[in-house]
Amino acid sequence: MEDKKRKGNKKDLAPSRTEKRGIGQYILAFFLLLYTLFCALPVVLVFISAFSDEMSIQKKGFSFFPEKFSTSGFMAVLRYGKQLLTSYGVTIFITVGGTLLGLLIMSMFAYAISRKEFRLAKFLSVYLLIPMLFNGGQLSGYLIFTNNYHLKNSLWVLILPLCVTTMNVIILRTYIVNSIPAELMEAAKIDGAGEYRTFFQITLPLLKPSLAAVGFMMATAYWNDWQNAMMFIDTKHTNKQPLQLLLIKIQKNIEFLLNNNNVPASAKAAMGGSIPQYSATMATVIVVIGPIMVAYPFFQKYFIKGLTVGSVKG
Amino acid sequence: MKSFLQNTWKHRAHVVLALPVFLVLFFIMYVPMAGLVLAFKDYKMNLGIWGSPWCGLKNFEFLITSKSTFITMTRNTLLYYIVFTALGTFLNVTLAIAIDQCIFKKTTKAMQTIMIIPVFISYAAVQFIVYAFISTDTGILNKTLGMNTKFYATASLWPLILTVVKMWNSVGYGSVLYMSVLAGIDTELYEAADIDGANKWQKIWNITLPALIPMITVMLLLSVGSVMRSDTGLFYQVTRNNGALYSTTQVIDSYVLNSILKSSNFGFTAATSFFQSVVGLLLMLLSNGLVRKIAPENALF
Repeated sequence: MEDKKRKGNKKDLAPSRTEKRGIGQYILAFFLLLYTLFCALPVVLVFISAFSDEMSIQKKGFSFFPEKFSTSGFMAVLRYGKQLLTSYGVTIFITVGGTLLGLLIMSMFAYAISRKEFRLAKFLSVYLLIPMLFNGGQLSGYLIFTNNYHLKNSLWVLILPLCVTTMNVIILRTYIVNSIPAELMEAAKIDGAGEYRTFFQITLPLLKPSLAAVGFMMATAYWNDWQNAMMFIDTKHTNKQPLQLLLIKIQKNIEFLLNNNNVPASAKAAMGGSIPQYSATMATVIVVIGPIMVAYPFFQKYFIKGLTVGSVKG
Repeated sequence: MKSFLQNTWKHRAHVVLALPVFLVLFFIMYVPMAGLVLAFKDYKMNLGIWGSPWCGLKNFEFLITSKSTFITMTRNTLLYYIVFTALGTFLNVTLAIAIDQCIFKKTTKAMQTIMIIPVFISYAAVQFIVYAFISTDTGILNKTLGMNTKFYATASLWPLILTVVKMWNSVGYGSVLYMSVLAGIDTELYEAADIDGANKWQKIWNITLPALIPMITVMLLLSVGSVMRSDTGLFYQVTRNNGALYSTTQVIDSYVLNSILKSSNFGFTAATSFFQSVVGLLLMLLSNGLVRKIAPENALF
């Protein structure tokens, strides 16, 4: 009797989350597919164009179905060989360095302000919040970083401004408060672990999902940062140019070559007759966005779990 | 006070843990706030911000005299903010609910993975993609539709172009936050609604949407503080910083960036920045105050 009842219940309640495959579901899936294509096709176009023959793009325009495929675009990018490697090095350095540094100090701060017994936490929360409400703007920041801190053409200026954001600290704190049992940290203390040990050996390992999500978002912000590089790194400091700046530079070079008839024929000849303008830029785009595209699927699973924003109130 | 100090001393380990972020914020965020005094100074390169002489409200007079530039960029900043926020929130929520409702879980998961990709592409790269679609001679749009539209010389088309690019870029990722809320809704609520005979739309309207309201409020509030700030890359890179398009594409942030890169017009720019920061602060306080009146539990502070 008991068994039967439960079965009956199950039947009754099942439809709520596992719907029948009605026509509505197929229509919904169709629209989602359309939107997915809208998101994906521009990226697909980059790949196709990068492998398209330059002449076919110039004559027929960009196309998802090019007349001829070619790898000359990638060859043109490889001409930037040494600079490409340097720029990769710079970008990887600021991305990895900045993300690790930021995650470490932000989770330390998040841990400190999440402690109820710590009375300074209230003040620190407000201190954290104010930059979200009010900030000095680009110009003031630019002048202070260059004139007062003398950070022009230094890699620090690419790392520090993106290192701490209020939002990320709040996300980390929310995770500590909601998902790490306070008893665990208390137990560690009772067992004689000091504050540092509790943080590094109990809290930090348990914070992993949130660190992964926040870390990945930080890493993409570093990887994609062109603005700080453009403002703070002069063109002649080629050994400090990140990838995004190289991307901008390559485009400018090609435009210059195309618009300038005074360019010596030898320079044009070095480019192999026609300048692989379109396919080469698309190939560069792939070189620049490729690593993120590859890394992203590994981090996606943490997004929903790790990125929950809680209330800002302490 | 004494017990406060005692408490702080007792928890000095916490102070040490909090110190690095405290310092970074101080030097990166707080000192530039003080730098806003530049709006009231006559900036001299060799004297720096603190040493330059005061000049009263002269910089603000520039704002008023050169009003077309200032008004155009403020108007653009505001209009783009309104369109992006309204349309963006609507699409984020719609997409999150659509994905949540779809029963083909494996397929939707894969689709969602693809939808998030655009947010990870820098605008320095996005501008090439946009170019491939709308360049005059080689763009897909002109080629397939047999048109000859000069997109990069037609300012009136850019509000539409930038809106499409922005939504393409941000909606997939924006919906993730709302999905995290949907994942937390108690299934018993839906079950109870089933027993009461509610249909699908009624369930969305009465259970799903109300559950999303707090998150929507928080996200809107957070965005209100940056009304005067824009996604600089969108307006600087995607438009190729094209002067012919400024009437519909120049926003405050891209103007400031241009002025920094050309190191010109610092007085005007400083006044604009000051205006930008103060208006942002006031709007934030105002909207938070409103939310606190209507639904205190959703207020930010």
